[in-house]
Amino acid sequence: MQVKDRNKNRRSIGALALLALFFQLGIAPAIALGGGHPNFAFVFAAVIALSIGGGTGVACGFVSGLVYDLSTTGPIGLMALLLSIAAYVLGVEVRDRISEEPMMTLIPFSVAALSVSLCYGLFALAFGVGESLFDAVFLRALPSALLTVIVYVPFLIFMGRSRRGGGIKSGTPGRQSRYTLGNR
Amino acid sequence: MPLTGKGTTTRPNIRRGDSSTGGRLLIVFVAISLTLLFLGTREGPSKVLSRTRDVFQTITKPVRYLGALVASPFDAAGNVVANLTTDQETLSELRAENQQLRARNAELEEAALSTGRLEALLELKNAYSLTSTGARIISNSSDSWTATVVLDKGTSSGIAVGMPVTDSVGVIGQIIACGPTTATVRLIVDESSGVSAMVQSSRAQGVLKGSATGSLRLTLIRTDQTVAVGDTVVTSGLGGVFPKGLPLGKVVSVEKPTGAPYYDIVVEPLSSAESLEEVLVITSVTAEQQATAEDIAEADAQETSGLENDDAMKPQELSDDSVTYDDVEY
Repeated sequence: MQVKDRNKNRRSIGALALLALFFQLGIAPAIALGGGHPNFAFVFAAVIALSIGGGTGVACGFVSGLVYDLSTTGPIGLMALLLSIAAYVLGVEVRDRISEEPMMTLIPFSVAALSVSLCYGLFALAFGVGESLFDAVFLRALPSALLTVIVYVPFLIFMGRSRRGGGIKSGTPGRQSRYTLGNR
Repeated sequence: MPLTGKGTTTRPNIRRGDSSTGGRLLIVFVAISLTLLFLGTREGPSKVLSRTRDVFQTITKPVRYLGALVASPFDAAGNVVANLTTDQETLSELRAENQQLRARNAELEEAALSTGRLEALLELKNAYSLTSTGARIISNSSDSWTATVVLDKGTSSGIAVGMPVTDSVGVIGQIIACGPTTATVRLIVDESSGVSAMVQSSRAQGVLKGSATGSLRLTLIRTDQTVAVGDTVVTSGLGGVFPKGLPLGKVVSVEKPTGAPYYDIVVEPLSSAESLEEVLVITSVTAEQQATAEDIAEADAQETSGLENDDAMKPQELSDDSVTYDDVEY
């Protein structure tokens, strides 16, 4: 029998959201490759979609996308739209997977990160942000996607420990933590 | 083992925390997002979305400031690494440059004494003043598509949208959004930026545009005008936003494309706009700091001459050029 601990999920989502907000606003500007910066809003949405999924994943995708939009000078609603869709697709993608290994999520995550980055770049171009398609793709979208995948790795480790029961507090396999994602 | 997935009863779902796919929620959020996008493009005078963004910037100001404090040691470490990997040739160039700067410094000290005397005269007339307020950069842009910085002061300090911003070296950009305690500056290196500029030595006037690579391009300088590598590019004052004569950058390459009416000029910005750096927001520009009627006439003559010399230019290009003598659009 499986028991859902909604409070534990809420705590975990809240903690992860605060962490992602701090990284997006405070740390992302300091990490750059070409013109690209990592998208921690996407990382947060993807982690929730891959761990919990469903309506929770989509809601987190929308909210994190909206926060991203408000923190930039780009079109409001664009990243919210893309992250809602990405969270839904990622949620459905891993929905029926039996494997508990978070490393298996790296490929769908990478594909989604690239797709979101490219789509945002192209839509932003259509909305008058930037002038060159080449620059939008090769100097902004691709570096941004690459950095996003790189910064996802620590979250993967967290997800792995979370599933094994270590959590981010205790760090000891088998011991219950206050912060875990999904059901065990 | 629960079988919770809708339509997937043939497979056990042992890891999902939310049994629905979120399809209905997705439709709702997509509709909201599209509505926001639509409202953003058709925003009226109330500018609800812009104000929401300003409020958000104000609320998250402590987070940005904390992030800048946390990231600043890494920036310093990056500079140390860059210095360690500097090759001998660069060091020789720096030594030579240092000698030149020493010589220049002596000249400037002499000039400063002269300026001091002149300023005393000017104070009597109260003719020259750069009205400004100090602020500090608390964050660079966190997205990949724009080059902006956030300042720690806003409307409560007298800052408003459209004001130019400089650091100790030269112009860094212009305010494009302003909350009560924060302001967002679009940097001159942003792709959407365009500043009326001129080559200091030859007075050739053009428009300085940003690019995705972080360099600047000085456009609309005719090939019969004089521009050389190393020339300083300053604001021309046309458009009335930026005071005339503020440094923008140095010319690093000048190319003369075959058959083209204008030079292809790359300019290196003088300012870098790093986090926690102090800047000046110019709150008003006096008539003396704006372009004179003579400057405007020169710019018009230059543009007219350029058009006459280029019969092959397309109508669209002419149209674009004719509107770019305004300062940064926002």
